[in-house]
Amino acid sequence: MIRLILVVALVLGAVPATAAKNPDAYVYLTISDADSLDPAYSYDTASHMLVLNIYEPLFQFDRTSTSELIPLLATAVPTRENGGISPDGRTYTITLRKGVKFHDGTPVTPEDVKWSIQRFILVDRAAGPSALLMEPLLGYPSTRGDDGKILSDVWVDVEKAVSVQGDKLILRLPRPYAPLLSILASWAPVLSKSWAAKNGDWDGSERTWEKHNNPSKQASPFFERAMGSGPFKLQRWDRKTKEIILERHDGYWRGPAKIKNVVIKGVNEFGTRKLMLQAGDADAIYADRPLLTQLQGIAGVQIIDDLPTVEMNPVVFFTHEINAAGNSFIGSGKLDGAGIPPDFFNDKDVRKAFAYSFDYKGFITDVMRGKGTQATGAIPKSLPGHNPKGRKHSLDPKLAEEHFRKALGGRLWEEGFKFTIAFNTGNLPRQTVCQILKRNIEKLNPKFKIDVRAVEWPTFLDNYKSSKLPIFVMGWNADYPDPHNFAFPFLHSKGDYPMTQKFKNPEFDRLVEEANSTTNAAKRKEVYAKLQDLAFDEAPQLYIIDGVRYRTQRDWVKGWYHNPIFPDSPYGGYFYPISKD
Amino acid sequence: MLKFCLKRLAFLPFVMFGVTALLFSCLQFLSPEMRASLYIKDPRQLSQLEAVIEKHGLRKPVYIQYGLWLKQVARGELGYSETAKMPVAQAVKAFFPATFELTLIAFFPIMIVGVYFGVLSAVYKDKLIDHVSRFVAITGYSLPSFVLGLLLLMVFYGRLHWFPPGRYDLATDMLVHADSFRHWTGLLTLDCLLNGEGKAFLTVAKHMVLPATTLLYISVALLLRITRSTMLEELSKDYVRTARAKGLPEKVIIRKHALANALIPVVTLSSLMFIGLLGGVVITETVFDFPGIGRWGVQAAQQLDIPGVLGSTLLAAFLFVMANLVSDLLYAVVDPRIRVGN
Repeated sequence: MIRLILVVALVLGAVPATAAKNPDAYVYLTISDADSLDPAYSYDTASHMLVLNIYEPLFQFDRTSTSELIPLLATAVPTRENGGISPDGRTYTITLRKGVKFHDGTPVTPEDVKWSIQRFILVDRAAGPSALLMEPLLGYPSTRGDDGKILSDVWVDVEKAVSVQGDKLILRLPRPYAPLLSILASWAPVLSKSWAAKNGDWDGSERTWEKHNNPSKQASPFFERAMGSGPFKLQRWDRKTKEIILERHDGYWRGPAKIKNVVIKGVNEFGTRKLMLQAGDADAIYADRPLLTQLQGIAGVQIIDDLPTVEMNPVVFFTHEINAAGNSFIGSGKLDGAGIPPDFFNDKDVRKAFAYSFDYKGFITDVMRGKGTQATGAIPKSLPGHNPKGRKHSLDPKLAEEHFRKALGGRLWEEGFKFTIAFNTGNLPRQTVCQILKRNIEKLNPKFKIDVRAVEWPTFLDNYKSSKLPIFVMGWNADYPDPHNFAFPFLHSKGDYPMTQKFKNPEFDRLVEEANSTTNAAKRKEVYAKLQDLAFDEAPQLYIIDGVRYRTQRDWVKGWYHNPIFPDSPYGGYFYPISKD
Repeated sequence: MLKFCLKRLAFLPFVMFGVTALLFSCLQFLSPEMRASLYIKDPRQLSQLEAVIEKHGLRKPVYIQYGLWLKQVARGELGYSETAKMPVAQAVKAFFPATFELTLIAFFPIMIVGVYFGVLSAVYKDKLIDHVSRFVAITGYSLPSFVLGLLLLMVFYGRLHWFPPGRYDLATDMLVHADSFRHWTGLLTLDCLLNGEGKAFLTVAKHMVLPATTLLYISVALLLRITRSTMLEELSKDYVRTARAKGLPEKVIIRKHALANALIPVVTLSSLMFIGLLGGVVITETVFDFPGIGRWGVQAAQQLDIPGVLGSTLLAAFLFVMANLVSDLLYAVVDPRIRVGN
């Protein structure tokens, strides 16, 4: 029997692990499958990475830079100096490249560019990316009102905002919007209008656009098919095996990619991903920081660490007006030692006391293995609005006690409190943040009690949205590399987080808007520094780490580079420069 | 017999109705915001949560939501699964054959090994073979499948490079997705043979060795224990003693008399085990990156993908009814005293 097993095993054969397998294919194993390949629908990292390899936008960030752009479908990056941006900052004139072909061989025309940008706006699916261009180009974030009905002026505004004259694309803004070019470098890539119309998508007319507004995902012909002009074309998306295969576009205007095929496959189990990398069946894999030690020392595997990010994660948020209705997170709902009142965190001293109770240094050293520096504000260091000299909190039990004694008219220290902090199950760094706060605060006064509870994402979301969580720990990755993409969601009263925190500061709002409407870099930086300084004083949120990431790849992979704004980099990223030796 | 089968099958729609109605009722305990979480992957999308709820009709009364779903089902549509990113019917069609193939390949060895060693263990009670069998059963019970799966992967893939995870390698992947490759049955091993692709057949078979071995080891334990205990019980009965006294050969006593009687609980267990395997072997599918129905069902449940949950539950209910029918028919085969339909 044993002999038989051995014979069968030998017949089935073994492949040596040391040789580079699949020399024509680059295989990347990740954990998440794409959501949709439609550039106007997809708003997740896995999909967006594919979109930017299949389609091309007007510009791209220059290799690793998050500030310098290079032209792709445009011939030059518009500036005031070259006349591409009007003196009032409201008109952009972009000359379009000639001789670029879609994957089916048809030429990319100025009409395709105009139609693609208009389509990106008009599709406007619920919770989608369209607002990113609607805000700068139309001046409002949705094509629909609060009642869900389409606004009357949308078509007129879109036609006014996006037009072509010969080989030039003209963008007219209602007011200056500094990050516009950064947004255009990542969003609204160009699709084939004629292919779309042939396959039942919007034909570009006023008469039909409303039919394509807020569509279901699978209604779009671009959901699982693609017709772009990027370096790779879609060969197959097998949703059953969570596998996407891209094939080199031989007619690509910058010359064909070095690698013939790219295989992106979802493999949830880390052990399996690791073994496939080790065996050479994968060229790069996704892995979190706590797993790094398991990847070190594998022959033929290279770890590239200290790669910058454009994110702020994790961040501690205080809810200023907690929703008390049926809320189990705030105990009795009163300041009686068995709960907290709904306006508990509206008291600045409470927030400051919590801020001085967190061990920032310990978290960075022990949990994040020393990779990263303490954040000095909501804007990460990879962005121009970052202030490296900004004030930051540190673990200081004496100062924490001082603030606790002053808080809530001095009653807090005597009465004590009890409440629950929740984190989404499975997120280890966020769990540790909660536990550190609990440990340090309970040490200050035996009457202080904090419970830490793990909840599933749907439950977490439910309580978060209804402002029931007294404290929540979350994070933010950039949509585009501009400080506004952090300042607004973190500190403007209409931003994602302050809306849930029920936090409003008119001075914050004024500064966020002022910074966004100026195109003078030095002035913007000054305003953002002031904003973050004010945020330190008010402490509506605690910024913990300006982190880094790492990449794991086989050492035969060549040409890869990291741009922190490119979706899924450093794990996936831009495949065009990659080759295998 | 036919009447019996038809009667059983007539129950099927009622079982499915009951299961889905129960599921729908349970799901209503969750708020619309929680159910909308399936469509929200990132905090930046939360500002449009209401629009998502509105779009998917999550605030409509339960009977309306259920009625709409039933209407869809009547039209042959089971809805769209967000976790599978395809219509539910298509998802079942896509995921089920892989699980079915894996189950078929694992099930017969499970039966043979479980029953054979169960009988041996009973016949040679307290002998070496009994101790070994019981040791295997205990470790099979106690060893979590993900531990065994990863261990097997580490040794036979990580170290020896013999049996890789997944369903096929890149070359086979290209081959089976080529226009010229015909998917006759959905069972990839069989389809490779029918297409005359011997090399691809070997590759696919190679990829099934470790998941099938894991299933075999984990599942055989229970069957072995049940076979052993029922055999021991039968062997201690009077009719066995009488048969021995009459001088019947031991082999005949075991095979023709004791085993035939001991098989009734084994048949029940086997059919349930078969359904369990078909319903999805989540951990095994996850560890070996095997695209089966179990992984999809669990993912759908975790993410509150209601059409996905309903679709996989409907399939499970259907399989359960079918398995009960088959096991009832098998009773008649293994035990002539049972007369189906009387």
